[in-house]
Amino acid sequence: MSPNQGVHPAPVQSPRARLTVRVVGIAAAVGVALTVWLGLWVTPPDQVQGNLVRLVYLHPGVAWVALYLAFGLAAVASLLYLWPRTRSLFWDRLAAAAVEVGVVFNVCTLISGSIWGKPTWGVYWAWDARLTSTAVLLVLFLGYLALRRVPAEPEVRAKRSAFVALFASVDVPIVHFSVLWWKTLHQGATVLNPDLSPTIHGSMAWTLLLSFVALSLVFVWMLLVRYRIGVLEDWLGSGELDVALRERQAEGMIDDEDEAA
Amino acid sequence: MGYVVAGYSIVLSILFLYGVQLAWRRRRLTRAVERVAASEVGHDGQAGGR
Amino acid sequence: MWRDSVLVAGKDLRIEARSKVALSQVAPFGVVALVMFAFALGPDRSLMARGAPGLFWVAVLFCTVLAVQRSVSVESVDGARDGLRLSGIDPAGLFLGKAAAVAVQLVVLEVVLGLGVTLLYGARIEAPWLIAASCLLGTVGLAATGTLYGALSAGLRVKETLLPFLLLPIVAPVLLAGTRVWQAALAGGVPADGTQWLRLLVVFDAVYVALGVVVFGPIQEAA
Repeated sequence: MSPNQGVHPAPVQSPRARLTVRVVGIAAAVGVALTVWLGLWVTPPDQVQGNLVRLVYLHPGVAWVALYLAFGLAAVASLLYLWPRTRSLFWDRLAAAAVEVGVVFNVCTLISGSIWGKPTWGVYWAWDARLTSTAVLLVLFLGYLALRRVPAEPEVRAKRSAFVALFASVDVPIVHFSVLWWKTLHQGATVLNPDLSPTIHGSMAWTLLLSFVALSLVFVWMLLVRYRIGVLEDWLGSGELDVALRERQAEGMIDDEDEAA
Repeated sequence: MGYVVAGYSIVLSILFLYGVQLAWRRRRLTRAVERVAASEVGHDGQAGGR
Repeated sequence: MWRDSVLVAGKDLRIEARSKVALSQVAPFGVVALVMFAFALGPDRSLMARGAPGLFWVAVLFCTVLAVQRSVSVESVDGARDGLRLSGIDPAGLFLGKAAAVAVQLVVLEVVLGLGVTLLYGARIEAPWLIAASCLLGTVGLAATGTLYGALSAGLRVKETLLPFLLLPIVAPVLLAGTRVWQAALAGGVPADGTQWLRLLVVFDAVYVALGVVVFGPIQEAA
């Protein structure tokens, strides 16, 4: 049985933590708004891609978050959970939060990449290394989440998820390189890579940087909130059971004292 | 330009909606935790009175 | 560790020899899959011949899922898994043994499927050593990852649906590499290209076999 968490005090968030989350959220919202304003209006269109280049303030940013920030964090956190000396459910919940938020950003990456691809390559989907690896990563993330839905003790669930994350992390670089070879070995010309621009100058460079910062802040906010949700859910999962048990006891259904009396 | 607007709208909507969903989930859970914690205090009072 | 792995592999293979599940159910399923692919691709023979490498490996992947599920379910009866854990068998040996048993079954299946592909799709093999190498290396990778994920999903009631979903994306490199090697080995291909992909398979195998040896014990404790 799970430890009697109903006895543990309810997980209350310190006012400082709540303030931090709020500040991050506001900063993220402001950052995104600023990026959109700069990206859509202030910055100039590109010589080669015209207005399409404005997607560079969106797509590389979400891709960076999904593929490196979210996935990297999930992998590291899972490792830290598996390592006996640093084992703590904190890392497990952090990894789970990172994966869930990562899925959302991953979907955004695929959609923005696809939308950029249509006018650039003529098709919504091209089997280039980046898009394909991102798609595979999405499926791996979804598998992780599916496995987590299976009801289990928190420690068992944590261990299982951590292993899945470990195997997935090992696989992603292999997949990336194999698809890279796959696409380039027999192909003559390389496909135009949408996230590289021949020359990025001035306002474009700053806006690009801002987009990365803003989207990272969005990720952090979402991560913090999702982590908090995980803590609350886990506490409720065992707490409610104890309350229910105690309510039944009070109703005299499992009451030894009355029987003895 | 149509593609750009489409891209921005879709991605930002997804992020916004997910963010709203997170905030809503957090609020619902916080309320639930407060309810459970309050009822536990109530029951402890009862059990102690036996 | 090696002695335990031989023991475990022997046990699994003996069970297979007696029940003949792989031979009587999985192999026919593989052949049926090949036939279905033929229906899906239409009567154009040249198209099928060109698609033969990929279709072969997809069929192999499907069979792998089945073989792994069988390998896991063999122990889910009567708490046999706990018995194995308590008997003091080295978990690394357990991993290698189960993976080896799955690998042997897969090799047999691949021979059957390979014959099917040459007969049904008219694929002509020009570099048989490439074919053999890719099958052997690919099988090792499939068996290792399959056994790992099988162990992860062992206790779960939803494992039938979860296992393929978890396993198949992981083995995508095997599918890619295997297909490329086969394409190089068939008539009209360039054999030299195949060796690069064989190297990828070696890396994949090394990584997952090593991981499995290290990690199988803790996984068993978690299941």
